[in-house]
Amino acid sequence: MSVMILAASESLADTVRQTADTFGWTPQMFFSQVVSFVIMALLLRRFAYKPILAVLEERRRAIEEGQLNAEKIKKELAEAEKRYQEIVAKANADAQKMIDEARESAAHLSERKQQEAIAAAEQIIAKAREAAAIEHDRTMESLKRELGRLVVQTTAKVTEKVLTPEDQRRLQEEAARQLAG
Amino acid sequence: MLDKMRNRCFLFPFLTLFGGVALATSAMASESEPALPLKPAPLVQIGGFAITNSMLVTWFVAAAIIIFAQVATRNIRAIPTGIQNFWEWLVESLYNFLEGIIGRELVSKTFWFFATIFIFILFVNWFGLIPGVGTIGWGHTDPASGVFHIDRPLLRGGNADLNMTTAMAAVFFVLWFVWAIQAQGVGGFLKHLFAPKGETSGILKILMLFIFFAVGWLEVISILFRPIALSFRLFGNIYAGESMLETLSSMMPALAWLIPIPFYFLEVLVGFVQALVFMLLTAVFTLLIAQHGPGPEGEHT
Repeated sequence: MSVMILAASESLADTVRQTADTFGWTPQMFFSQVVSFVIMALLLRRFAYKPILAVLEERRRAIEEGQLNAEKIKKELAEAEKRYQEIVAKANADAQKMIDEARESAAHLSERKQQEAIAAAEQIIAKAREAAAIEHDRTMESLKRELGRLVVQTTAKVTEKVLTPEDQRRLQEEAARQLAG
Repeated sequence: MLDKMRNRCFLFPFLTLFGGVALATSAMASESEPALPLKPAPLVQIGGFAITNSMLVTWFVAAAIIIFAQVATRNIRAIPTGIQNFWEWLVESLYNFLEGIIGRELVSKTFWFFATIFIFILFVNWFGLIPGVGTIGWGHTDPASGVFHIDRPLLRGGNADLNMTTAMAAVFFVLWFVWAIQAQGVGGFLKHLFAPKGETSGILKILMLFIFFAVGWLEVISILFRPIALSFRLFGNIYAGESMLETLSSMMPALAWLIPIPFYFLEVLVGFVQALVFMLLTAVFTLLIAQHGPGPEGEHT
């Protein structure tokens, strides 16, 4: 068994050696390439990727911050909008209230002024009536006196006699009564 | 079902590996001189270590990427323009793509590696398509045909070198293990491999303990084969593409400039797809071991 394993391992080693020889693989060249590749990978890591990855990370952070700020601004804008709507609604309500009050006040004032105007008109009318009555009375009085005098004069002419003061007074009273009736 | 899937996962790399080796060996046997050598050519020898033509390409590409990234990020502006814009687009797109697959927490830790894998493999693959790579170098003139053959090209596609692809796969394997231990702890890691999944009781529970313990070993073998599968897949695709382009270029010398052109577009696509596949597989392997809680994917590594 062990002989078979030994033979197999020797055969495998021969195959590996032959393969390496066919393809020009040697431990020296292999290690040279390993060292070369490792140095190159480390150099690329340090000088090629690090600066760009730092820039990309910075940009990603800036974008995230920008997004957060945008969210914050959006929220603040929504709050401001809400506040604005509330203020506008309150202002509308206040304005409506003021308009209603003004309307009510105007209605009251109008009513009062109307009443005052009516009262003033009535007063003017009453005064006019009073003045007219006084004038009427004065005119009537004057008319009575004039009529009495004309009656006395006419009567004196018609009768061609001198009337006594008693007759004159009686005729004037009669004429005034006739006129009043 | 699970066992079948595991066995399939286990067998596939084996078949790929040995099939590839067999094909390559037969190709070598039938063709005395392949279009593109399988081995990278050493340019400079420093002690035991060699600087190869493929290594030179990887350095060129790495230096170009670093210089480009440095120029792009020299004067970083909040609103990007020009190459900063392009580099940002590339890195951010990759980051978002990987984040969608492996999650925010894991991507912040592992992005540098997966981004390197993708960008590096992609540009190394495309660099290999530049005329002159693999065709300028040292060679000889074939006395029979009079055609000049390149024996030792100055530059070679970086991923057409198995040393490079295995190096990347090996580095990933180490990192995968580190990330797995960081995420699960040693106990959690072993439990993830060997502990039975699902709710059972009585004799069935004991039976499941044995089954999952055995399946765990298959899982270990499957994990050990991942770097091999990753490296051979990438190497095979890129080497095959370059070989095809070189063969097509040398088929009819008069039309050598025309025939490979459609295949260049194909290779541009293959280069992208292979970079994506390597990155996606490594990312998914990492996700499967590092994710917390018994998810449905976590049981099918």
